[in-house]
Amino acid sequence: MTAAVLLAAFALGAIGWFVARARARLLYAGRESMHSMPVYHAWHLALWVVLPALVVWGLWSVIAPPIVDGVVLASPAGTQIPTDPVQRAAILSEARGIAADPSFIGFYDQSSTIAAPMRAAQARFGLIGTVLMALAALAGGGYAWTRVTGRFPARTRVERAVMLTLLAASLLAILTTLGIIGSLVFEAGLFFRDVSPIAFLTGLHWAPANAVGDDLNANFGAVPLFWGTIFIGAIIAMIVAIPLGLMSAVYLTQYADRRARKVLKPVLEILAGIPTVVYGYFAALTVAPFIRDLAASLGAQNPSTESALAAGLVMGVMIIPFVSSMADDAIAAVPRAMADGSLAMGATKSETIKKVLLPAALPGIVAGVMLAVSRAIGETMIVVMAAGAAARLSLNPLESMTTVTYQIVQLLTGDQEFNSPKTLSAFALGLVLFVVTLILNIIALRVVKRFREAYE
Amino acid sequence: MPEAKLPDSKLTARNVDVFYGDKKAIDDVSIDIGNGVVTAFIGPSGCGKSTFLRTLNRMNDTIAGARVTGQILLDGEDIYDRDMDPVALRARVGMVFQKPNPFPKSIYENVAYGPRIHGLAQAKPEMDAIVEKALTRAGLWNEVKDRLTDAGTALSGGQQQRLCIARAVAVSPEVILMDEPCSALDPIATARIEELIEDLKDRYAIVIVTHSMQQAARVSQRTAFFHLGKMVEYGDTDQIFTNPREERTKDYITGRYG
Amino acid sequence: MSNTWKNPDMARRIARRNAAERRFKALGLGAIVLSLLFLAVLLFIMLKNGLGGLDWAFLSGSDATDASAAGVWGAAKGSFLTMVVTLVLSFPMGVLAAIYLEEFAPRNRWVDWVEVSINNLAAVPSIIFGLLGLAVFINTLGMARSSPLVGGLTLALMTMPVIVISGRNAIKAVPPSIRTAALGVGASPVQVVFHHVLPLALPGILTGTIIGMARALGETAPLLMIGMRAFVATPASGINDPSSVLPMQIFLWSDEIDRGFVQNTSAAIIVLLVFLLAMNGLAIYLRNKFETRW
Repeated sequence: MTAAVLLAAFALGAIGWFVARARARLLYAGRESMHSMPVYHAWHLALWVVLPALVVWGLWSVIAPPIVDGVVLASPAGTQIPTDPVQRAAILSEARGIAADPSFIGFYDQSSTIAAPMRAAQARFGLIGTVLMALAALAGGGYAWTRVTGRFPARTRVERAVMLTLLAASLLAILTTLGIIGSLVFEAGLFFRDVSPIAFLTGLHWAPANAVGDDLNANFGAVPLFWGTIFIGAIIAMIVAIPLGLMSAVYLTQYADRRARKVLKPVLEILAGIPTVVYGYFAALTVAPFIRDLAASLGAQNPSTESALAAGLVMGVMIIPFVSSMADDAIAAVPRAMADGSLAMGATKSETIKKVLLPAALPGIVAGVMLAVSRAIGETMIVVMAAGAAARLSLNPLESMTTVTYQIVQLLTGDQEFNSPKTLSAFALGLVLFVVTLILNIIALRVVKRFREAYE
Repeated sequence: MPEAKLPDSKLTARNVDVFYGDKKAIDDVSIDIGNGVVTAFIGPSGCGKSTFLRTLNRMNDTIAGARVTGQILLDGEDIYDRDMDPVALRARVGMVFQKPNPFPKSIYENVAYGPRIHGLAQAKPEMDAIVEKALTRAGLWNEVKDRLTDAGTALSGGQQQRLCIARAVAVSPEVILMDEPCSALDPIATARIEELIEDLKDRYAIVIVTHSMQQAARVSQRTAFFHLGKMVEYGDTDQIFTNPREERTKDYITGRYG
Repeated sequence: MSNTWKNPDMARRIARRNAAERRFKALGLGAIVLSLLFLAVLLFIMLKNGLGGLDWAFLSGSDATDASAAGVWGAAKGSFLTMVVTLVLSFPMGVLAAIYLEEFAPRNRWVDWVEVSINNLAAVPSIIFGLLGLAVFINTLGMARSSPLVGGLTLALMTMPVIVISGRNAIKAVPPSIRTAALGVGASPVQVVFHHVLPLALPGILTGTIIGMARALGETAPLLMIGMRAFVATPASGINDPSSVLPMQIFLWSDEIDRGFVQNTSAAIIVLLVFLLAMNGLAIYLRNKFETRW
């Protein structure tokens, strides 16, 4: 129904487009006889047909449902249903379901008795809405029709509409950011009504499952999560990714010939294109058991299958191409003359790289590492599948450890009521994660920018 | 400040200042540009001659922070008036740029683009005629008539520049502005463009910015000398080059600076 | 002085330095080889475990509790529907925003905020977008949980910044002389963009879009947040039906105890990787084909 009406509005617009173009072409008598080409008159009229219709449709879909509900409640069957607002809303909602699909079975008996009046009222108001839309379309089209004249600046008007669309599209980015901040702050705010932020940020004990009644503060200490995140994402993963990524970049930029570079670089990039769930599965299926067996053969007692090392190692590999391409950019930004100066003194290539190129590229490399850390600590699937659920403060990489992202997933994928502190704590964790990654990103992007400017 | 008036003037500028942000790039220029003659703007680099040229068809509008005060009239109409659509203005005052900049489309499409957006042709034969006429006027028709569908970017530099002239001519402008049109061309291509300017001058008012005094002397009838954002002297080309009134003009002409 | 360079000490020293040079170069090559070895092992294990399970029944079936009956079609269809929603929203929005920022935006604080916002959104962890989707689309707007519509919306918000950034780079690469040429014959700024700049920038924009879409196709974490982990035995028939997606199916199967699901998981990974490699290959092809236009 709705789709058909909307389609009709667009069809009307299309008809208007052709009619207006035909009319404008009749008026057209060569250069400077008209301000705008006929095609702009066509677009102008089509916009005036479609937009008013869409506005009416939008308004009507907000206004009509409460009126329909009122009509249904006033009907003979409607007066029978309970006055309790919650029950009433549930019955009305079920009746809407039955009206849309007769095979739908409601929980309340009354919902089927008011389904018929519901359907009738919906049909009636749907018709009224359609008529209003048609009127709006015709009125808009009629107005635009009177403007199909030689002097009317249709192009300017259409271009203004285009500009507004462009502006709206770019504001969507700000809206998304505000949406993220708004929803995280709002839900986390609800959480912090029950749990003190200080206890959350400094507490050493994390056991949301035990959190009932008064000991909320004692069970929502997130420090073990922060530690697990840092240990896996910022320490183990970076121990893997920084040397390998950096050395790959050095080899690719300084030693590999053009052909090798052309092949090796995209192949290395494949590592970055593999979905994280695949890495997670690989970590859980292959790497973690391998590490466990290795640890056992080296004499560790009961090594666990899930380990910080397995997750961090795989995460590090995933980040290699990222570090490599950031380092690549940073090294490429260093002026050739610097390296030439060193080579001309008789330094070997590796001496030049170590003593001249890398120090000169250091700010760019550091910024790249910061972005890499920001990625690693926000990474979810690898830790969900390989790191484990145990919130513990430990320095042993062979133990299982949990992270912020792991806990967010855990807290939000079970079946629990929505506003419990347990669920809300996920948003508090999300807020911390967002703020930390934001700070890392902002600093890194600023460093990169200043670094590039320094050598330009 | 000498104020030069012409009886048959197409473009008239009065007390024009141009600012880029806080910087004044053009200082109080008044000039009349005649119909059916070639007017040359000469002067050392950075003197503002190109800047001033770009105010004449409001290409400066596209530069953020550029601001024009004073009055510029095209046939008595103020081109900076609120009612003046810069789009319509640029159809009447065409432009050829320093570096040939054909669209990466076919030769035909390069020329047809302007007539198409301005609705100068109703049907294909009419458009074909416009394209042929424009290419003929630009002296390019015989070279390209068998390969109109080839890319415009595949032509030689001199041919590309003549294609750009054809593109400007195709919308039947009244004035053609040329911003150092030969600076990227070799001497032979330059000579062809100069001949072309000579052929075109009866139909259009042509303004050419050039850094070559020889070129100004060869192609123009009127010459304006710019220095440090001011118009120092304006007069008949012969008079400017043989008997300049201003000391600075003389210094420039005789090669003391620039 | 002159025999400083000829005495045996110096010769030994130079030999040592050359050896260090060779070691350093080998270290660089070793880093790449090690990374690629990891990739090779990963692919080998997935192929070894999964190739046997890739048959028509697997490709055309849907999720089931019995490993031998389970197939990947339901999830693939869910991925397809989700990607359609993502593409339909993020591509036009991303391109329009890129045009605005690159061609028309005035230099002011508002526009700076938009730019900072886009650059940061491109680096925000994907799970945060899942939290946004959960809080806004499901809890506030009451849209259907587990549906391709909500999944697509969430991924669209995540993909749009990628498209905006690549779009801006592609638009920036169009030489300004094209713009002045079009303005010079009297095209309006909007005509300049839609007649000249956009067609020339399109290959670059498409490359960026494909890469962004490939990322979205492999994404799991945000979809976990909006409940696309349901057991769905019948493929979704519309964007409001509960559905799963390929990476989610991999995640769900990886959790099963039954050994038979190891084969299924690896086979599904092969399917997913084939799609991703095809998309990335297409992007690389487009980039190479249209790279050197000027």
